[in-house]
Amino acid sequence: MDALLQLAGGFADVLSPLNFFILAVGLVLGMLVAVLPGLTLVMGVVLALPFTYKMGVAPALILLTAMYVSGTYGGAITSILFRIPGEPMDVPLLWDGYAMTRRGEAALALGWSLVAAFFGGIASAIVMVLLARPVASLALTFSSPEYFAIVFFGLASVVTLSGTSLVNALISLCLGLLIATVGVDSIYGVDRFAFGLPFLQDGIEFLLVMVGAYGVGEVLTRMAAGFESEAVEGAAERQGRWRTAFPRWADMLRMKATFARGTLTGIIVGIVPGAGATVSAFVAYGLEHQYGKNGKALGTGAPEGIVAAKSAATASVGGALVPLLAMGIPGSGATAIILAAFLLHGIQPGPQVFANSPELVNIVFASVFLGVIGMCVLGYFAIKPLCKVLDAPEAIVSAFVVVFCFVGAFAARNNLSDLYVIAAFGVIGFLFERYNFPIAPLVLGTILGPLAENNFMTTMVSFDNDWTIFFRRPISGVVLVLAIAGLMWSLLKTLLSLRKASPNGQTQAP
Amino acid sequence: MPVKLKLILPHAVMLAFAAWLYWVSLRIEVDTGGRIGPAVWPKAIIVIMALLCAFEIARRLLAGAAFMPGGLVTSKPPGKAAPVGAAKDMSGPIASHPWKLAGGVALVVGYVLVVPLVGFVITTAVFLAVFPWVGGLRRPVLAAVLGVAGSFLLVVVFMRVAYISLPLGEGPFKALSIALIGLLGVS
Repeated sequence: MDALLQLAGGFADVLSPLNFFILAVGLVLGMLVAVLPGLTLVMGVVLALPFTYKMGVAPALILLTAMYVSGTYGGAITSILFRIPGEPMDVPLLWDGYAMTRRGEAALALGWSLVAAFFGGIASAIVMVLLARPVASLALTFSSPEYFAIVFFGLASVVTLSGTSLVNALISLCLGLLIATVGVDSIYGVDRFAFGLPFLQDGIEFLLVMVGAYGVGEVLTRMAAGFESEAVEGAAERQGRWRTAFPRWADMLRMKATFARGTLTGIIVGIVPGAGATVSAFVAYGLEHQYGKNGKALGTGAPEGIVAAKSAATASVGGALVPLLAMGIPGSGATAIILAAFLLHGIQPGPQVFANSPELVNIVFASVFLGVIGMCVLGYFAIKPLCKVLDAPEAIVSAFVVVFCFVGAFAARNNLSDLYVIAAFGVIGFLFERYNFPIAPLVLGTILGPLAENNFMTTMVSFDNDWTIFFRRPISGVVLVLAIAGLMWSLLKTLLSLRKASPNGQTQAP
Repeated sequence: MPVKLKLILPHAVMLAFAAWLYWVSLRIEVDTGGRIGPAVWPKAIIVIMALLCAFEIARRLLAGAAFMPGGLVTSKPPGKAAPVGAAKDMSGPIASHPWKLAGGVALVVGYVLVVPLVGFVITTAVFLAVFPWVGGLRRPVLAAVLGVAGSFLLVVVFMRVAYISLPLGEGPFKALSIALIGLLGVS
């Protein structure tokens, strides 16, 4: 009852005129970045961060959370109508959503997408409220071995679920973990990989890696491709499709298992530290293809494909906020930025925040609920202006993105050296894209690296260098075994694929 | 460049980088009193990274680039194209506009080098005008207007709305920047 009253207080806070205005701005911005070519959800949240420096912590959290929620939907419109995925998470919508559009069922495809996003978002918000407190209470009993095991599990999961080469993902992750070691070591105060340079002695902020690799790197990648977005069909043809038609109740009830599977997948994958909306959408789509009643029809314009992917993508938001709020471990790229907003205001998310600043937790909860509702209202009524945004020349948008990246990162510490770091990571991000090294593990390694190392070192120092302690404590042991088993399974899969590719042991020519 | 060398180049570079980092990590010395030292964690990661690079180099030399196993995200419907971000040719996609890319990199690097000296207002105006042109937008009047208006707009947004202190430049550029932002009512 007390928790419900506190949640009601969160709603009251968010519904105050100024905060509600900020929520609305966040929803619109989230939709815009998801639609605009060259901008992604994570980049959008990164670019909004500098505007929160002078805000109070509550409006800052409302803005970023609203952007995070609505950013998961905008790309669905362009994917379904124009075959332009605003975000990687929207790629599964191309297979079925655009196929429905070509059959003349664009409005219905948008309707399925909206209903799936609403269901996934609200269900995950409820789970988030129910789970966050117990997880935070459980986390209070955790010590450094448990924290290390959970972070290790997150790092292993994102690699296991990676869409590209497993080995490249692991290399990318290692590089991220190494970047996190640059600077003065927190236990012994020794310089590591700083080469006597003062700006390296302070360490490399994950924000710089994120802004550089995701923001500047993506712009350079698109520039190398000539800023050529996939063909957008004529305006006249577009206009006829600019509306949403809701599916019938009976059809929705028929698909209740798909809704449940997608939402559950989104919540579970979202909770895993590091795996976000994109991974959720692809995994849910894969599961639907494998286990759904109409799974074999996926890819031919089946609404099940839209529902599975979209409900999972939106459900991942609530899931990803659970480890952030309860343990201080970000569950996705966007939640890493929300973590940065907390830290910039001197608040460390984790079990203590539930005791010391419960109003902030409830504001985040309420922002997700209201954000999902606002996102659906906006998604229903704002299709026309959102589609108009697609006409903005990509070269101009990209120029502004680069400037925003520089200002955003510079403003965090007022340090001009940070600009060099961003430019360097911009080039590294481009090279990673070019040579098929995924960027997400690099960024995740930079974010979770200090957490992993600190907890590992603390454990080893506290338990006399006895590494078996990680496996002798029940929670850390189970979590580590699961993580290692997942990694081994993936590596085994790699080796088996290698054997299949070279039948009879013959070497294949490249 | 021979095909096999091209195939293994990224991982060979990473392997060399890992070897160099390991050498650097050998210099991290401190009296730990028998406890685990600050070099152990980075050394362990470097060794894992080097082993992965060596494995991938061997794999590419033996099996070539015919396939690339990935994780669950590569799941796709039968008969459909691979999803964005899924396995691509291991030699890496060739940039179809290398000059645009070179221009973009030069502009990004130039921006960070020039902005401390010339200041945000002028550097950003030039950047916003030139970047779209390099990106293929051949409308000089629009580019010029965009540069000036965009820079002024960003100054207002960042300095008046978000209260972010931006670099003003040095010497005469500083005086010019102060005069320009003064015109916008920013003190």
